[in-house]
This record gives sequence, structure tokens and C-alpha cells, in this order.
Amino acid sequence: MKETIQTLFITSLIIMTFSSCEKPNQTDLTINFTHTVDAEELTTNSMIYSNSAGENYDVRTLKYLISDITLHAENGNEIILSDIHFIDISEESTFSFTVEDFPNNNYTSISYKMGLDTIKNTNNLHINESYHSAMVWPETNGGGYHYMKLEGAYNNDSTFYNTHTGGTMGGDYSFNNVDNISLTIDDDLGDVSININMEINNWYNSPNQIDFSSYGMGIMMNMMMQMDIKMNGITDVFSVDIICTK
Amino acid sequence: MKQLICYLLATILLLSCKKEGCTDDNALNYNPEAEVNNGSCQYYDVTPYTIITPSGFPDMIIPENNPTTLEGIALGEKLFNDPILSSNNTLSCVDCHIKNSSFSDPNQLSIGIDGFLGNRNASTLINLGWNSSFNWDGSAKTLEEQAFEPVTNTLEMHNTWENVENTLNSNSEYLSLFKQSFNINYIDSVHIVKAIAQYERSLVSANSKFDKFYRGEESLTLSELNGYAIYNSEQGDCFHCHGTLLFTDNLFHNNGLDSEEPFADIGLAEVSNNPLDNGKFKTPTLRNIEYSAPYMHDGRFATLEEVVTHYNEGGHYSSTVDPLMKKLGIGLQLTNQDLADLVNFLKTLSDKEYISEK
Repeated sequence: MKETIQTLFITSLIIMTFSSCEKPNQTDLTINFTHTVDAEELTTNSMIYSNSAGENYDVRTLKYLISDITLHAENGNEIILSDIHFIDISEESTFSFTVEDFPNNNYTSISYKMGLDTIKNTNNLHINESYHSAMVWPETNGGGYHYMKLEGAYNNDSTFYNTHTGGTMGGDYSFNNVDNISLTIDDDLGDVSININMEINNWYNSPNQIDFSSYGMGIMMNMMMQMDIKMNGITDVFSVDIICTK
Repeated sequence: MKQLICYLLATILLLSCKKEGCTDDNALNYNPEAEVNNGSCQYYDVTPYTIITPSGFPDMIIPENNPTTLEGIALGEKLFNDPILSSNNTLSCVDCHIKNSSFSDPNQLSIGIDGFLGNRNASTLINLGWNSSFNWDGSAKTLEEQAFEPVTNTLEMHNTWENVENTLNSNSEYLSLFKQSFNINYIDSVHIVKAIAQYERSLVSANSKFDKFYRGEESLTLSELNGYAIYNSEQGDCFHCHGTLLFTDNLFHNNGLDSEEPFADIGLAEVSNNPLDNGKFKTPTLRNIEYSAPYMHDGRFATLEEVVTHYNEGGHYSSTVDPLMKKLGIGLQLTNQDLADLVNFLKTLSDKEYISEK
């Protein structure tokens, strides 16, 4: 009897050892940031776009911060993919990040915030981050960081617009996006990409029609414009697309 | 008995012939000819030097292969001030980076050893350890890399590194200092630029009137405060490029100096080969700007008043002018008082200790 127990014990140990060595298929989850104008992929430095006010424009600079990128599972689990991610259209390395070996679950939504909420948006809070100097927002205007710098020329190539959003006078104009998704990650799924797309023209079109000639010189002190752009942003600037690759 | 005495005497004689010195080849003063160790060995023992990060500054990124030491800084300072790096022993780094001028050249362009003028104004050297690129066109990514360049530039020191190495290796003082600083027996270019870079990283300025104001130790005048407000609003719009406590974004911009293209100096495009970078230059820090005239990459403006007037007039159109120059053709429309206030604010960035201390 004793021998049998011993044999059983050893056998189960061996089985456990072997089964723990078996590597289940892992899922790497990549978040891509994509940019379109009128549903076409963004081409920078080219005056081929027009807003709903009928102004032609180009895009020369686009830098922005997305925070609290989170996947929500059916069972209530939440996984924060990135606390703050900086995207700079001139730096391809900022267009995506990957979380390796993503846990299996049935994910039902993704949420992400355009800009930084008040807690994340204080002076020098991100002093050692790559975006600190590029995105800093003057202390005399509330401090913290720009949420976005979208710049270019309009009408002709010597009149410029600067769509700079941020916490004007300490206000919070960041906004949360929640997109429902259907993503079941299991051992057989393979890798997954989630594209978060910014439709640039929609910053200017609806519900608030924004024309560069009225405000293009700068809106950093303009709370009403910050709010109008935020409302446009909430309406239809961001969308999400999931691509599974096995 | 006689024989024994003879042997003893011979041994004593032999022993007294043996040369004394440091026989440990790990020691700095190892003497390969010494046969008797007399306890004089000195060992490589550098003193680490921690560069204190001023409040509100990011951490300084120091290359792992060039940690800062007191010995390295002192050697770097000596090299920086020594014309030995130039081919005819007449020009040192400090001759174009003059301390009283916040380590810049008060001349529009600097004169090299052959009497030729360079093509850009010598930059101020201040808080360099927080920069991510160097030279007006960003041609160097590290201070070490930067220090390679002026030595061989034909318009500057016009030397060869082979010649510099030969000169320094025949100089017993430098041999000893490099041994102490880096534990090397042969002085090579890599260690020469390492020492200079260490010295440059130690050049930290964070004690201007503005710093004291920022720390709550001193107040600004009404004029300076108005200048500060203009600087930090889109009215003056200085902060977008000269932001943070470093007063630079470490990026490159075309700030509307010229409208005629092709530009006489294409700046960043020379390094990036991207025509969209034509006429873009590195944003300089505005710290100690009062002391570092003349201004712009080509030193075209002699005074701060000329600089603020350039921006107040809106700048000139060219195909690569920065969209931040959004009042092109319109101008900032600041009053004379506003302009004077802006200049007064800029002068609060002066750190007198920095240019006067030892």
C-alpha cells in the first residue's frame, strides 16, 4: 500500500512537472494609433484637406497624450494597458506598443482618455518622460501638459493654425472614450491588434463647426474653444478596430 | 670564515644594487624596472562626482561608460582651457566659449587657427547634460561625440586626432592625469572627449533671479512679471520652444529669419537630408541669454531688443517656417512697454555666479 502511494505521488509529481512545462499559446496584444482625414490615412505636409467651414488645410505637427488605456472583461476584471502613451506623428516608434502574453478572458470594452485628467496633469509630474518638454503647458495658464498639439497651415501656406488643447486655467478638458468590443482571448487566438484611430477632420466639424480664421492664432487661453473641441472629440474623433492574426 | 664574510658582503652589495620602487603592475606608478617594492604604490582610485539635479530639472542621463569623477572633470577643464588641442597650439575651447559670455563667443563668428571665420555663432555652454542633441544642426547626439568635431574642423582647431594623441602622450603631466582619471597608459581620442564631456556636464546653472523667484526666495518686478506673462502666453508665445526650466524644447525649428530660399545655411537638413528640415536650427536655452550675445545661429542680432523685435514683427515666410510662427505677416503686436518687459524678464534668467565662480 505504502509503495502504491509512493508511486502515485511520484507519478503525479512528474505529471505536474511536465504539464507546467507545456507552454500554452500566448497572445501578444498590440495597440496601434492610426490617423485619418475623411477616412483616408493621414498625409502630412500636404494641403489636401478641408474642414466643414470650407477652409483648406494641411497637418504638419501632431503630438498627443492618451491615458488610462484599459481593457474591461465580462467578469469585471480590468487591465490597464498603458497609464500614459505619447504619440508623435514624426516618430514612428510612438505609433504602437505591445503587451506580451495577455491574459485569457472575455473582453467586452476598451476605454481610453484623450489627454490627462487633473490628477495626472500637474506641473513637472512627468518630468523624466520623453514628452515632458514637448508637451509642457505654462504654469501661468494652469500648468501640466498639452493634451494635443495639432498644427499646420490653412488656406495658403503662410497662415497657420495651432490647435493646442490642455487644461486651460487648471480646467479639465480631457475626456474618456469607451468602445464596446467582443474579444475572447484564449489559448488558440493568436496575436491581437487594437487600432485606436483619430479622425482629424472631426475635431473641427460636429457638433461645433470650428474655423481656423476665427481662432487659429491660438486657443490655449480660450475655455470656450477648449470645451467646443472637447465636445467634437467626444462625438466622433476616435474609433476602435480589432484585428486578430493567428 | 673568510669565505662566509665574502659571501655576506657580496649579497649585501647585490641587494643594494636592486632598484627600489613600485613593483605592482596594477598600480598607477608601477615601475617595471623596480625590483624591490618600497611601498610607494599608488592605486587607481577616482572620486565619483554626483551632479545634483536642480529642482524642476529632469534627471541627467550620463553615459554608463563615462561616469563623472572629480579627476575626470578637472582633466576635462584643463583640456578645455589648453591650446594643446589645436594644431599650432594657439586655440583652446575656451577661446570661443568664453566664460564671461556664458561660454559663448561675443563675436558673431569665431576665428579659427588659420584666421578663417566659422559659419555659425559659438553656442553657449550651460546645462548641457540635459540636452539630447548638440550643435545648431544637431549633428552630435552626445557631448562626447560633439567634442570630436572642433579639433579636426579646418575652420577651428584644424588638427588631427593622431597629432593630438602624439602630443599628449609625450606630455608627462597629461600621461599622469589620464592615468589617474581613466587608468590608461596611452592617451587616446576617446578618453580625451570623455574628459571634456565630464567637465561640460558639470557646468550647471540654476541660480538666476528667476530660479530664486520660482523657489519663492525672491520676487520679480512688475515689469518682469508682465514679461513673464507675455512669454508664457500665446501673445508672446516664447514658451512653446523655450519651455520648461531648461528654457529649451531640445527640438529644431525654422523661426522665420529668412524668406529667401535656398537658405544660406540649411541647418538640420544637412544632418537629416530631409528638405522639410531646411532652415531648422536647435532651440538654444535662454538661460544667461543676457551674457551670450549675439543671437541666432549666425549671430545676426546684436541685442535682445533686436531679437524680440524680430518676433514682434512676425518673422518671414519660407516653405519650412514653423506653424508656431502663427503671426507671420501680422506680428505679435506688442507695445514698446511689453517688449521692454519681455527683455526685462529674459534678464531674470541671468546667473551671475555661473559666469563668475572659479
